[in-house]
Amino acid sequence: MRLIEVRFSMVSSRLTRPILDCLRRRRGWSPEFVAWALLFAVSAAGADELPPLQRVIVEPAAVELNGSNRVQQLLVTAELANERRVDVTHRVLVESSDARIVRVEDGVAVGVADGAARLRVTSDGLETFVPVRVRDFVGHPPVDFANDLLPLFSKLGCNSGGCHGKASGQNGFKLSVFGFDPAADFDALVKEGRGRRLSAANPELSLLLRKATGLVPHGGGQRLKLGSPDYELLLAWIRQGTPAAQAGSPTLLRLTVSPNDRVMDAAGRQQILATAHYSDGSVRDVTAAAGYATNASLIAEVDRQGLVRTGQVPGEAAITVHYMGQVASVQLQVPRSAQSTPFEFPSQSRVDELVLAKLRKMHLVPSELADDATFLRRIWLDTIGTLPTPDEVREFLADRSPDKRARWIDRVLERPEYADYWALVWSDILLVDRQKLGERGAYELHRWLREQFARNRPYDQWVAELITATGNSGTNGPANLFRAVETSEELARTISQAFLGVRIECAQCHHHPFEKWSQDDFYGLSGFFNGLERKPIAPGRVHVYHAGLRETRIPLSNKLVPTRPLDGVVFAETGSDPRRALAQWLVAPDNPWFARLVANRLWKHFLGRGLVEPEDDLRSTNPPTNEPLLALLAERMAGGKFDLKAQMRLILNSRTYQLSSVTNSTNRDDEQNFSHHYVRRLPAEVLLDAIGRATGEPESFPGRPPGTRAIELWDNRLPSYFLEIFGRPERTSPCECGRSSEPTMSQALHLMNAPEVEAKVSSATGRVARLIQSGAGDEAVTDELCLAALGRLPRESERTIAQKLFASSSRRHAAEDFLWTLLNSYDFLFVK
Amino acid sequence: MFPRFCDGIDRRGFLRMGSLAGLSLADVLRLQHASGADATPKKDVNCIFIFIIGGMAHQDMWDLKPAAPAEIRGDFLPINTRVPGLQVSEILPHVAGVTDKLAILRSLTHGDPDHTAGYHVMMTGQHPGFGGNFNRNVTNNNMHPAFGSMVAKLGRNSGSLPPYISVPNFLNSGGPSFLGPSYAPFVIEADPAAPEFSVRDIVLPEGVTGDRSLRRQSALRAINRFEQQVDQVSRQEQSLDTFYEKAYQLMTSAAAKQAFDISRESPATREAYGMTSLGQCCLLARRLVEAGCRFVSIENGHWDTHRKNTESLRDLLVPALDQGLAALLNDLDQRGQLDSTLVVLTTEFGRTPRINAMAGRDHWPQAFSIVMAGGGLKRGLTIGATDKQAASVTARPITPSDMAATLLTALGIDPDITLHTPLGRPVQLAGGGRPVHELFA
Repeated sequence: MRLIEVRFSMVSSRLTRPILDCLRRRRGWSPEFVAWALLFAVSAAGADELPPLQRVIVEPAAVELNGSNRVQQLLVTAELANERRVDVTHRVLVESSDARIVRVEDGVAVGVADGAARLRVTSDGLETFVPVRVRDFVGHPPVDFANDLLPLFSKLGCNSGGCHGKASGQNGFKLSVFGFDPAADFDALVKEGRGRRLSAANPELSLLLRKATGLVPHGGGQRLKLGSPDYELLLAWIRQGTPAAQAGSPTLLRLTVSPNDRVMDAAGRQQILATAHYSDGSVRDVTAAAGYATNASLIAEVDRQGLVRTGQVPGEAAITVHYMGQVASVQLQVPRSAQSTPFEFPSQSRVDELVLAKLRKMHLVPSELADDATFLRRIWLDTIGTLPTPDEVREFLADRSPDKRARWIDRVLERPEYADYWALVWSDILLVDRQKLGERGAYELHRWLREQFARNRPYDQWVAELITATGNSGTNGPANLFRAVETSEELARTISQAFLGVRIECAQCHHHPFEKWSQDDFYGLSGFFNGLERKPIAPGRVHVYHAGLRETRIPLSNKLVPTRPLDGVVFAETGSDPRRALAQWLVAPDNPWFARLVANRLWKHFLGRGLVEPEDDLRSTNPPTNEPLLALLAERMAGGKFDLKAQMRLILNSRTYQLSSVTNSTNRDDEQNFSHHYVRRLPAEVLLDAIGRATGEPESFPGRPPGTRAIELWDNRLPSYFLEIFGRPERTSPCECGRSSEPTMSQALHLMNAPEVEAKVSSATGRVARLIQSGAGDEAVTDELCLAALGRLPRESERTIAQKLFASSSRRHAAEDFLWTLLNSYDFLFVK
Repeated sequence: MFPRFCDGIDRRGFLRMGSLAGLSLADVLRLQHASGADATPKKDVNCIFIFIIGGMAHQDMWDLKPAAPAEIRGDFLPINTRVPGLQVSEILPHVAGVTDKLAILRSLTHGDPDHTAGYHVMMTGQHPGFGGNFNRNVTNNNMHPAFGSMVAKLGRNSGSLPPYISVPNFLNSGGPSFLGPSYAPFVIEADPAAPEFSVRDIVLPEGVTGDRSLRRQSALRAINRFEQQVDQVSRQEQSLDTFYEKAYQLMTSAAAKQAFDISRESPATREAYGMTSLGQCCLLARRLVEAGCRFVSIENGHWDTHRKNTESLRDLLVPALDQGLAALLNDLDQRGQLDSTLVVLTTEFGRTPRINAMAGRDHWPQAFSIVMAGGGLKRGLTIGATDKQAASVTARPITPSDMAATLLTALGIDPDITLHTPLGRPVQLAGGGRPVHELFA
């Protein structure tokens, strides 16, 4: 890390030289500028060792300032000889040819009066000139409420969800959150509160200004400085008679940012330039008015001026930029500083090549291949939620064929537990909640899901059947989805999150703060379910059918919205079930989300972390850590006719999946690039089954036939203290997020002390008792217990531990104590 | 720079936190922890939180209206108490003797007559978001952390005991919501009034002696240490390990285990609290906060008196509460712990002014009463008032958010702290409520 700091000071020293030159010449510098330049001169140190600058790029290439676009952030990028690009915005010297036309303040061109001038940008002896034109500047042009004022309320935080933007407002003054409803905000300011918030006669005395500037007590404190440009803008609007909107004012079309992606050093800085584009072709610099958020603050933070600072941790971060409902993002990579040592990584497929490319870029050395026993236990637990038996472990270890891993992957995918386990996984996502659906409904939906996996039915086909399901919920399992989710709005949320990874629920009430989705999009989607009927036919049973398309209106505004899938075409057909059209659109190979989401889900299931996290939040502003890889996986999914097992085979056979969880000095902290396997605790049901199998005393469940395993349970409410404390989900939201693997004290106490667990360990018919009775020696008992619980033979250290136990008490007790120890160890509780 | 927002964080903080969608909550909590951003409580006050399930009849207990017609006022008369001018119902004779230690808040109001929503809003300070659907068949999915989870997250260390304990069962709205299971209550699923009362999993199972347990523990350390030597313990494993440590502390701390052992109390003390579930829960709660626990929630059920309101209250429900609450306040006071222990008696809502055809009272969220005592709050007063029929608040309305802010403030936690839901939506800890300032000296 020190190295980098030194390198930066070198850059600055080289950049400082021209500043010093200029200082000597002393031509027309403002005092601030001299001070600023001096500061740089003082910080200069070191000798030139960086690749020389090739060129300097200034954005924008020409500056246009006017009454509505009064300042312009400059973005100055140096291109080095090694093709690296480095932000030097806050390190170069920028001078105005005419300070009466335009001034420069810390990388921002500030208009002064109409006219033309040019800026000279000097760095490392390279000069770049930027023409400036200032027009219609003096006085404020007519202020447009939506384009000019609402962004200000967002910038000052007035309409944030914690202040006046929350549903109940704040102290009687309510604004729409993030300014999604200009008309309501206008009324709130101009008409409500008996018109006391604005004073036409005495604009400066308007309550709005006095509160915001803190002249009268304000719960939010001082947000605005008297006389600041923002203050002047508000004042101008009041003086102009608080117009609602200007006739013919342009609408905001999109937001662009620069740069879009950048490789940075640790402890580096990068200015972001945000530009709004309007329907009349005009553009505005909104760098200071936009909002910024990082998805990984350990790696990169961003301030309200759009200046990014990277920390000391290598990795990847995405900066989301949002402005008035438009969003854009900047992707940043901070590689480890040291080049990685050479390593071998024989790729099994394109998957590995793409992972490898990323590892190289981030200077990470991957872990070794996991050993055979770890591999076997991992594929068994990940694919069928089941521990391998000691015999299976022995057989696999003894198998000497070079392709044994591939063959055993095929073998595990054909196991009967496959369908049980995946039905469990999907029952979480599809809300198979007995409390909501009743016994019959939950059973039928679960059984139907299980069947889809047992047949390995293509994913697109069963999803299409599910969302168009009709008929008797007591006999047609998938129809119960429409009992689990009861309103059109909830269905829009559920379908978009479960199958598209689009979290559109924010847009039910207001424009999505980090996405482009509006209420029109939300209600357009929910329209497909408007008219869906659930006719009761017996207690706990309904007949599900769609009575045909209906009008959909947005509550409160009563606005009519056409039924339309996200970014899709309007559906207006009557006389058919609209859900068919929706299903067609949903599962189409060119749907940008459908294949990507399931590809990401499967990747996360097996690798422990999604390429996008959370796995079902595929916003453009939440980019994957390896886009080419996610694109490939999605392409394989859609191109492979949504064959889930084929996709699993691809993942399981990759070297990436088979890496050890044992890390090296380069990849210990990596949680984004799959340089090693990420360990996870066994899910509740899998853990309970594993304890049953290791002890030889499977759990029995009330009302279920003996031998029923926890992963087979369709009833998520079946009383079980164990499943509850280990995070069985309630299945109330359409995701896997309800399933928790977070540790608690109750879990530790239960595993150590619960009479239920002890009864299994010490059972007269359990594994320990049988082993002891069989007359096996201490070593054989130790081996067998390790194989049963950990899926491997004991390490030397574990043999020593066992020997000590055998030396201290009866064989039976010693074996029980050893098994207890294994059950509480990391290697048992986690998939390694 | 700007002062703090009304949401309690500066803009930069908001921007940083605003992207929760990209970070798991655990990540954020870890970051907060790393940056030392956990709020530091100002005082060392614990809480015993008694929740009356079903809806407590305010007009029959705390806010009597003797001048109202019979079908409104019910069957009970007010009696004088230790505090001149402060009257309670005749069915609260023990409480009448301790009114100098408590405050009655007579002007709670929230407006949702649904049990589920009422339970949630009174346990968390925030409405769950589904409403207008009477007794809707949804589980309480805990849209906001319960007070106990907030305290577990933001309060001081609780020593060998868990910071948040529920007895005699899990309270449906008592969960941690998005704070995550690490802040869930430790649930004692047993009634301390039962003769065979014991706490699950804190003692060694039968057949495992102390010697054996020691051997097991040392074997466990040895087996996990193999990995530590190679510097290979993942974050997930480390975090489980923390809880193993805490669990082991609890198992091996005599003081902690004794706190759960209610049989160590003298028969006289146990009798004083009453040999009822509620009485013994109160006594156990006192033992637990004494031993370091920060928040004990107690549930007491069957108060949904739609029929035979008078008999139910007089004969079945109130006597245990009257005796237990009074004994708790007396006991805490005698031990000098009343100022460091906040006692809250609360419920989903009150009950209808008019007695119905089944001689019962139905749900009434428009106006009802709760009780707060100790924790440094002012004593011997009433706050707020209702109309002649105890039907609507006429003075000093107190919302559940205000109650939340009061409780948190008394416990030394800033009620204006902003939390972020997994979607990144900012929510204030106490939902923007203001503390009932009249209770603070």
